[in-house]
Amino acid sequence: MKQYIGRRTAYCLLSLFLLSVTIFFFVRVTGDPATLLVEPGASEADIAAIHHQFGLDRPLWVQYGIFMASLAHGDLGQSFYYRTPVMELYLSRLPNSLYLAAVAMLLSLLIGIPSGVLASVRVGGFWDSAGKMFTLLGLSVPSFWVGLVLILIFSVYLGWLPSSGAGTPLHLIMPAFALGWYFAAAHMRLTRSSMLEVLGSEYVKLARLKGLPQSLVIAKHAFKNALIPVLTVAGINLVIMVKVAIVVEVVFAWPGIGRLLYEGITFRDFPVVQGVVLMGGAMIVIVNLVVDILYAVIDPRIRLES
Amino acid sequence: MVRDEQSSLIGSYPTRRDVLALTALGLVAGVPRSSFAVEPSGQLTWGIHVSLAPTWFDPAETPGLITPFMVLYALHDAMVKPMPGQPLAPCLAESFSASEDGLSYEFVLRKGAKFHNGDPVTAEDVKYSFERYRGTSHDLIKERVASIETPDPRHIRFALKAPWPDFLTFYATATGAGWIVPKTYAEKVGDDGFKKAPIGAGPYRFVSFTPGVELVLEAFDQYWRKTPSVKRLVFKSIPEETTRLAALQRGEVDIVYSIRGELAEELRRTPGLTLKPVLSPAPFWVYFPDQWDPKSPWSDERVRRAASLAIDREAMNDAITLGYSKVTGSIIPYSFEFFWQPPMPSYDPAAAKRLLAEAGHPNGLDAGEFYCDSSYSNVAEALLDNLQAIGIRTKLRPLERAAFIEAYAHKKLKNLILGGSGAFGNAATRLETYVVKGGAYVYGSYPDIDALYQQQAVELNHKRRGEILDKTQQILAKRTIYAPIWQLGFINGAGPRVGESGFGLITDFAYTGPFEDITLKGS
Amino acid sequence: MAIQTDVIALPPRAPSRFASLRLKDFPLIPVLILGSIALVAIFANVLAPHNPEIGSLTARFKPPVWQTGGSTKYLLGTDQLGRDVLSRLIFGARVSMVVGFTAVIFAGIIGTALGIISGYLGGWVDQVIMRLTDTWLALPGVTFAIFLAAIVGPSMWNIVIILALTYWTRYARVIRGEVLSLKEREFVRLAIVAGCSKWTIMYRHILPNIINSAIVLGTLMLGVVIIAEATLSFLGIGVPPPQAAWGLMLSDGKQSLMVGRWWLSVLPGLCIMLMVLSANILGDWLRVKLDPQLRQL
Repeated sequence: MKQYIGRRTAYCLLSLFLLSVTIFFFVRVTGDPATLLVEPGASEADIAAIHHQFGLDRPLWVQYGIFMASLAHGDLGQSFYYRTPVMELYLSRLPNSLYLAAVAMLLSLLIGIPSGVLASVRVGGFWDSAGKMFTLLGLSVPSFWVGLVLILIFSVYLGWLPSSGAGTPLHLIMPAFALGWYFAAAHMRLTRSSMLEVLGSEYVKLARLKGLPQSLVIAKHAFKNALIPVLTVAGINLVIMVKVAIVVEVVFAWPGIGRLLYEGITFRDFPVVQGVVLMGGAMIVIVNLVVDILYAVIDPRIRLES
Repeated sequence: MVRDEQSSLIGSYPTRRDVLALTALGLVAGVPRSSFAVEPSGQLTWGIHVSLAPTWFDPAETPGLITPFMVLYALHDAMVKPMPGQPLAPCLAESFSASEDGLSYEFVLRKGAKFHNGDPVTAEDVKYSFERYRGTSHDLIKERVASIETPDPRHIRFALKAPWPDFLTFYATATGAGWIVPKTYAEKVGDDGFKKAPIGAGPYRFVSFTPGVELVLEAFDQYWRKTPSVKRLVFKSIPEETTRLAALQRGEVDIVYSIRGELAEELRRTPGLTLKPVLSPAPFWVYFPDQWDPKSPWSDERVRRAASLAIDREAMNDAITLGYSKVTGSIIPYSFEFFWQPPMPSYDPAAAKRLLAEAGHPNGLDAGEFYCDSSYSNVAEALLDNLQAIGIRTKLRPLERAAFIEAYAHKKLKNLILGGSGAFGNAATRLETYVVKGGAYVYGSYPDIDALYQQQAVELNHKRRGEILDKTQQILAKRTIYAPIWQLGFINGAGPRVGESGFGLITDFAYTGPFEDITLKGS
Repeated sequence: MAIQTDVIALPPRAPSRFASLRLKDFPLIPVLILGSIALVAIFANVLAPHNPEIGSLTARFKPPVWQTGGSTKYLLGTDQLGRDVLSRLIFGARVSMVVGFTAVIFAGIIGTALGIISGYLGGWVDQVIMRLTDTWLALPGVTFAIFLAAIVGPSMWNIVIILALTYWTRYARVIRGEVLSLKEREFVRLAIVAGCSKWTIMYRHILPNIINSAIVLGTLMLGVVIIAEATLSFLGIGVPPPQAAWGLMLSDGKQSLMVGRWWLSVLPGLCIMLMVLSANILGDWLRVKLDPQLRQL
């Protein structure tokens, strides 16, 4: 078991290392941040001064070394644009993104699971079709558009909700919906096929034979079992949501990581981009690691297979 | 994001005698504090178009952009800075003067000028702020200053190594070196600490900052010029334009920056909201980088002139900036020193077609690629249509801003470029960067222009220098080296709660200022 | 008098791959929609009444023909530069189709190939490819696209490449999973015993069985790719103007939406929605028919 965990952890570190190298060199190919921090037409001396200030005039491998060395201390460097430590920026925005993703996930499950159940049970019924249509629509429109239309309807015309920013639960509703609608469809599909499989299983057939009423069969037996794969996927989707939220964050001026990353790229703020991507990568890798370990704990066959 | 800069000096700066005379007449800018100051009250909220960076709270780090000044005018104050009606108004300095030989400048500090923590502003702070400055052009300005003397707490003398007519403009507007921070405090908390809790001498003091979200400021009632009328200022960052307008419409913010195109129309139509356009000193133009290549059709001046004649500037102005831009025939902003007024460009597609035919292209020509910054794609698309109408066919290649600037500067672009600049300076500096050999964005040059430029660089007589620069600009226009389009109108908006918004008070300043003059309606 | 004919026993026809497709819940409408879009895309030059890229400022913001101010000259109105919306929608179909299909196919080729190699060969090759996939996934698609756009500059083909490079990982993971279970099957083991080389096995035995999943994945990815193109345009790095692309029209039209000129964003939005919805419904149906095992999707 220890060997398994050890191997998995080693692979994780390898992934992260690869990621750090990739992102480090990638950002530097995208352009020169100095040109964005001065007026066009600034002197060569000004630009050179900025290069020096950010350590960009040193050889690449030296820059990388410095980067990795500070990383070992938990220091992600200093943002070019904000001139504050990246770790601080990241940690101050992360809760907002997690908060948004959590609510969006909740919404997507609240919409997706019931429609999936309905779709599997009453195939062809009105609610089934309506539910399916609604969720599938979420897959068919870009989230920025959903966001803009929501702002138009609920903020400007109806005046019910605040248009942007964060602060109160009211601020959360529209962005969460814009973000979560897309995933609702994925969850609906999964619930539906999962339910179908369980409903066809021996276990349920036996329950029916025993004479249990249909609704009880569904609620007690089928549903719980069908939920397992859905929740597994939901876990991974949560992390993905944090990433995909860039667009929603830009539209709603939500102070999350997505916006931080987008602005970092636009301003060629290397440390910010490196930091956010690395932290995001670390999150995914760690989540995967934990899931893998849990699987291994539950199912011995997995850890014995080399 | 429009990049624009504060104007440079128009005309000459006062000599010691002039200053004494003005002081005597009480005409030096800076109304003395009224004896009965009204309590500041209320709050105004801004929706700004960029993310606030803590580096803007520290004048020592002013980059070459204009955006930090939207905050600097509130938090800090300078010895001399642009104010309503005066491009170089003495602020923290009560008066200033230059020696006859141009080698030294003296400043007298205003009595009673205080920092937010109650400390008085002294000569030591002025000297410290200058030496601490490390933003744009800092090596340039520091190189030319031989020494700074502080004979007493209210007098500062800058001694230059050589006469430099532009010293004051650089000190007052181009750099942050003239914006004063408290020495004892800054040294105590260090640079990082200073950015977290800045202290300045401006009309508003720092309360809190949530990165990427909002900045909160409160009125400083001991500001020398006047007590601000609004008690609290909140700056919210809303980069997405439509969301910004929505916030203004809902009253979540009172003032917004940068509303373009159709949204500006909507703003105009909404009752209670006012459109606040400001003319930015940022001319836009079409550049012909191929004109020095004899094989290229652009080497023929007639072809270039045809392109310029094909552009319907007025229609574009109305369509894209609601008519608030100012059509121009020069790449040098109207407000720059040594600006020469060229003949206004006209719209004449028939004449353009004739010129093309004369130059050997009766059926139009394939002009290759047309590069632009993708945030100005709408302007470029309109231009493309105009050119198409007279037979010049091009393919638009919008580039993301950073990539565009870099490619432009590294001479990687060709055929046609839509460019613009809000850089600070005067006609000479603009020519240096965009026309004369060796300039950052120069793809080729003409020997006669280069020669003239060299001449004016060493000409100390202001009038004669102006004449040389006029001649240079005439050649620029005659030869259609550029096809200038307009100076961009920067459109902002104000809501119903705003009394005096602060827009347009300071010439060439795109944002609201001075902050102490901003009021709520009804107060 | 009855005519005697010999009864000939015909050998039973082997069921074709698509035999199971002939069923009552064949999604007719989605297929028709996709087909029409394809036709419009192919015959755009003939169908479009105006040049989609050139307009005149005097004809800006004309509403569709059924609203006051509309005219039959511009059936669906004009945009901010006076370009005909109908023509732009028609040519936009071409872009959406091309970008959508090519990106999906490219991503599919890369992802399937790597998925098969990784799943079949196993060992360190598998690990390397999986680590690569992990790393790639950690770069959020949009970020990655922004990077690439900054380096190579936006153009339609660059967008295709960008999207292909962003989405191949989805294929790789799923295909690899399939291959892992296929590896244990009889016919593969027989092939190994018979002495086939690894590459032959991968190409001739594994690949044909994977195609189903790849196709299903493809139809599902089509929708994702088209939405991604729209999102990239919103962020300013999609198919560059003045080309007519639905995503770009949607993004350009967002201001107009606020001002009441609904046709500039609702119409392209509708087109995107129809295309993606159809692709999704088709994909769902294919998934159920071709390979019920793919419930993970």
